[in-house]
Amino acid sequence: MTTQLMDYMEAKVILNKYGLRSIDSKYVNSAAEAVKFAANGRIVLKVLSGKALHKSKSGLVKLDLSTEGEITGAFDYLTKKAADLKPCKIIAQRMSPAGVEIIIGGKTDPQFGKTILIGLGGIYVEAFRDFALRLVPITRYDARDMLAQLKSSKIITYAGERQKMLESLLMSVSRMLEEHGEIAELDLNPVIVTKTGYEIVDIRVLR
Amino acid sequence: MSNNSAYKRKNLTPMLKPRSVAIIGASRDPSKVGHVILQNYINSGYDGKIYPVNKSGDDILGLKTYKSISAIGSKVDLAVIAIPAQFVPEVLDECGRAGARTAVVVSGGFAEVGNVDLQRRLTAVAEKYDMPTLGPNCLGVMDPRSRSDTLFLPTYKLSKPQIGGVSFVAQSGAVGSTILDLIVGEGFGLSKFFSYGNAAHVDEVDIMDYLVRDDETKVIVMYIEGVNRGRDFFRIAKEAGRKKPVVVLKAGRTAAGQAAAHSHTASLAGDYETHEALFRQAGFTIAHDIRELLYYAKIFASEPEPSGPNVAILTNGGGAGVLTTDAIAATSGLKLASFSRQTLDSLKKTMPPLVNLRNPLDVAGDADDKRYGDALDALSKDPAIDMVIVITLFQTPGADSRVASKLIEFKEKSDKPLINISIGSGYTEMHKIMMESAGLPVYDSPAAAAESLSALLKFYQFRSRK
Repeated sequence: MTTQLMDYMEAKVILNKYGLRSIDSKYVNSAAEAVKFAANGRIVLKVLSGKALHKSKSGLVKLDLSTEGEITGAFDYLTKKAADLKPCKIIAQRMSPAGVEIIIGGKTDPQFGKTILIGLGGIYVEAFRDFALRLVPITRYDARDMLAQLKSSKIITYAGERQKMLESLLMSVSRMLEEHGEIAELDLNPVIVTKTGYEIVDIRVLR
Repeated sequence: MSNNSAYKRKNLTPMLKPRSVAIIGASRDPSKVGHVILQNYINSGYDGKIYPVNKSGDDILGLKTYKSISAIGSKVDLAVIAIPAQFVPEVLDECGRAGARTAVVVSGGFAEVGNVDLQRRLTAVAEKYDMPTLGPNCLGVMDPRSRSDTLFLPTYKLSKPQIGGVSFVAQSGAVGSTILDLIVGEGFGLSKFFSYGNAAHVDEVDIMDYLVRDDETKVIVMYIEGVNRGRDFFRIAKEAGRKKPVVVLKAGRTAAGQAAAHSHTASLAGDYETHEALFRQAGFTIAHDIRELLYYAKIFASEPEPSGPNVAILTNGGGAGVLTTDAIAATSGLKLASFSRQTLDSLKKTMPPLVNLRNPLDVAGDADDKRYGDALDALSKDPAIDMVIVITLFQTPGADSRVASKLIEFKEKSDKPLINISIGSGYTEMHKIMMESAGLPVYDSPAAAAESLSALLKFYQFRSRK
């Protein structure tokens, strides 16, 4: 079975249906479009391609851009980088808030079917391998137990303050995985957890 | 997903409680598996009907022998098949025609050596007659109550376990017989033993389903390499975890990671991790090696539900008391109990002045049965104490068989989990056997004791989860 990367905006719409908030994003075809998107504040530019899993490692992300000069420079740079990765798109996103980076993911196990995962995210995923896995669908108890299982539990939940929110987030993702059979693999990485909420910064859906 | 097959229950009772057994491949030659199995049925005092089946038809071990299963003329509950692989499908078909209710195929030479088609034929025959068939390539079953035993292990090499409440399931025959041997040394009794080999028909789902409903089984212990029907297993596992303690050891923990994963999630969620996820959701106790498997089996076999997480330690050695305190502190879920006023008052009256009245309660190296008894009397009445660990270092001057007898006396009337730590060789081993055969579990390390109490507590917490 070969899997294909689902269009970012299409995936964002599915997430939205389950109340899963992802960061404000727009495809941009020119530096001018990106500059226009940045009218309300700092942005990020990224190359989206089925051929590149590690966007930041491969230099396919430009962070914290605000001036026209910065944005145009970054757009031109990424366009060049993207030449080998076609088909691909450049996406502009609002700069994410500061917080703890986590990963929430899903996978289809050949034996057990859909599974869901949460762990310390971003660049720490592979370094610490601090994650908890369960079979979909999960119960509230499972969600709580997943968070308790993480070594980074206190950091991720802000010592329990964001516990309930994260439990609900996990249950919503579980429901989405269960109801959307076409989602073979899912990476929400990173999801930024802040003191007041969360923001899904990157979405990767394989079908 | 390929896991949506409707689950149909297989009746394994005739396999475990057979009133009649046909042993196909019974032989006069003591080196043959069929001979060992027949001999074991005779030796064990099995009181059902035994029908040796052998092409020659000559009497074996003084029993009338039949040329084929159809020649018996009545339906048997269990057909044990120990003949070369290539003849098995045909003979199994004859068993089906003759009305055999269940079958155990001990013969090897199927999918495990690449003979996949031969195994498919075996499965097809079992399905055709709806005849629960265990194996092939397995040791089969043992039930010390019915004395049905298809294990072809010579009795002189393996002492048979006592009757008890622990049922043990192993895919692998070798690991299975090793554990069976160890069970005898751990002093807890066996309810059922299953080695199911290639799982061509009866698999872990069917066995788990049977054991969940089996009243003689109080604890289920599993050694598995993999699961075939994932979602069916998940369903029965969740049911099992609500009803009985299940201890599981899964092989393949260090299997190579997922090759060429397309997502971070896929690279993290490998086969072992996914099995472990299921075990956690079902409330199973996960063991990481055979020793842990036995520790956990032992605690579940004998101990009642703890009323809470608070552990009291009673010791005749200061160092062992501190090590055990550390182990309690390092083990998730457990807490060191604080003695209540009443306990302290009572201990003040009975303990010599040198004894420091706090947890861990070190009753000193000269502690005899009287002092242990007085201390246990106070601790067992204290409502602030949920579980008790009694350390007996038998190397000390005061500790002897009278101390062990005193512990057994308290164990018999204790409504709290009460376990023992004894570390040592010959003299200690002797007392370990004495205490364990009276139902008092003995551990040889503070960590093992603490982890076992934690597993016990977690099982009951899981059952009452919200």
